[in-house]
Amino acid sequence: MRISTIAWANLRRRKARALFLVAGIAIGIATAVALLSLSRMISEEIGLQLDQYGANIVVVPKSDQLALDYGGVAVSGVSFDVGQLTDEDVGRIREIPYSARLSAVAPKVLGAVEAEGRRVLLAGVDFESEFALNRWWRLVGRKPEAEGELVAGYDAARALGLIAPSDADESFPVVREFAASVDHTAMSAHAHHAMMERHFRLARASVTVGGREFKLAAVLAPTGGREDSMLFGRLGEAQALLKRPGQVSVVEVSALCKDCPVEDIVGQIAQKLPNAKVSALQQAVRARTETVGRLTRFAYAVSAVVLLIGALLIFTTVTGSVVERTKEIGVMRAVGFRRSHIFRGLMLEVLAVSALGGLLGWAAGALAARLMLPYFSQTGIGFDADPRLAALSVLAALAVGAAASWYPTRRASRLDPAEAVRHV
Amino acid sequence: MSFVVVENVGKEYGEGGPAVRVLEGISFGLREGEFAALMGPSGSGKSTLLTVVGAMNRPTEGRVVVDGIDVYALSEERRADFRREYLGFVFQQHHLMPYLTALENVMLPLAPLPLRAREKGARAGAALARVGLAGKESRLPGQLSGGEQGRLAIARAVVNDPPLLLADEPTGALDSRTGAEVMGVLRALNAAGQTVLLVTHNPENAALAHRVLHIQDGNALSVFAPEALAPAREATSFETLSQVGG
Repeated sequence: MRISTIAWANLRRRKARALFLVAGIAIGIATAVALLSLSRMISEEIGLQLDQYGANIVVVPKSDQLALDYGGVAVSGVSFDVGQLTDEDVGRIREIPYSARLSAVAPKVLGAVEAEGRRVLLAGVDFESEFALNRWWRLVGRKPEAEGELVAGYDAARALGLIAPSDADESFPVVREFAASVDHTAMSAHAHHAMMERHFRLARASVTVGGREFKLAAVLAPTGGREDSMLFGRLGEAQALLKRPGQVSVVEVSALCKDCPVEDIVGQIAQKLPNAKVSALQQAVRARTETVGRLTRFAYAVSAVVLLIGALLIFTTVTGSVVERTKEIGVMRAVGFRRSHIFRGLMLEVLAVSALGGLLGWAAGALAARLMLPYFSQTGIGFDADPRLAALSVLAALAVGAAASWYPTRRASRLDPAEAVRHV
Repeated sequence: MSFVVVENVGKEYGEGGPAVRVLEGISFGLREGEFAALMGPSGSGKSTLLTVVGAMNRPTEGRVVVDGIDVYALSEERRADFRREYLGFVFQQHHLMPYLTALENVMLPLAPLPLRAREKGARAGAALARVGLAGKESRLPGQLSGGEQGRLAIARAVVNDPPLLLADEPTGALDSRTGAEVMGVLRALNAAGQTVLLVTHNPENAALAHRVLHIQDGNALSVFAPEALAPAREATSFETLSQVGG
């Protein structure tokens, strides 16, 4: 027989009390696990969503000249005609160690051109990358498929007379294939709303740009952004038109930075392109961090309250148990148990119950989070139980159990044996 | 030389309130192998004196020396070790753990010791055999008779082979037949060399002792031979005994 034998025997004897304690701890831990799991999964979802929206890194040529603002992003050079980046540089970006985390690398050559007698900004782009980067774009028309095709921004199209108001009973096909993955997001809802408010149709099939005729594949539904006043052509054709073969004005990069600091990716790109200025758009990252932080803080706060209630439950139960066992403790002290033996025996009981409660709480919390996640998730992200959380749950339960029972257990160990034996 | 020396012991209760003096100027000694009975009316301080001798209740003044060890000069934890090594307690209500088997109850004082389970089991088994409970190791206390429970409590008290056995009215809750059964065990242990200090109200039990210590109002301790209890045994009246003790 050891002190632990007495502890187990006592737990077996007082099954109902032990189960009550296990349930109390398990509920506290389950609530914390469910909240933290939900918070983690939602954080991941938000991270993925934010990573999918737009560029969070911009690469421009290094320049000592005055900066020109480009849609809120500082672009080096007073003129877009300054181009020191090349197609090869774009390839190098895709070779960085974190290349797997680059969801889109969208090079652009920018320049002013004459179109239908008006000066307009032409962007030569890689359409696939551009659509991947700007998932909220909606096209009225079709996706450019061949050489010699353009996409016009809404304001540019209107200024050049490329669109006309839609008849009430006439509708145009909307390219939805790029919207599939973001149908549930607030941003897509906004763009969709804007598009629905401002129906239009293509009024012309072609447009002359820089003296060359291009087919008008589509017009962008208004976004409220810089692209509304631009024309978009294929990168190679725009480079030729602007007489800047192989040159790139800016490269926009969308990095999936959920698990890595965007600064690391920026550093790796800067290392590959020593002549370029690489900037992280901190707003998106900060917004995400802030949102995730709020969620996590909320989860921690609620978890702390629930665990505090659990701790009070343990405190009162252990205190009651100690009073009930005063005589028993007195006998043990009388037959030679040290204070530390009593403390160890009582604490062992609480810790055993806490560990079981922690484990059951983790399982229940994980299950609850799994069942609740569909009601909180916008994209149907799958639940992924974190095994580290199981270990953390047991540790937290042990810590709460030990902290809550420390005082009554210590008091019990210090009972005067003569008084305790006489206790009725 | 006395194995146990109680020297001018006084005890006062009532911290923060009016003080109640329970013991005052009590002195006596016990020889090794002696069987002494401690008697006195209710509230005279018998049980308090037993707990003071039992290293459980620090006296307000005076000292208790057992085998040359000044008990209350020891630290709290060392005093617990002392109780385990030197003392065995038998309580009036036996205070057995209802959820432990007879063998486990007897092993209780051995639980803190770093001994192998087999050795603890063997010691406990031997203690049970000494009190005539061999074969009842796996019984729970509730499955034993009153006399058996009393003997089980004695087995627990002697499992460590303590030099001094302290018994606080171990037959108080038993009928005369089972009480005699328990007293028989105590006497047998004493015959084997065990020093016993027995608190009792019962002159029949006290008559089994070598000496009777009679305490009155916590301050008057008189010592006499058990033969002096004859009138009290006949009257079984404590008042008569008090008159004898003078």
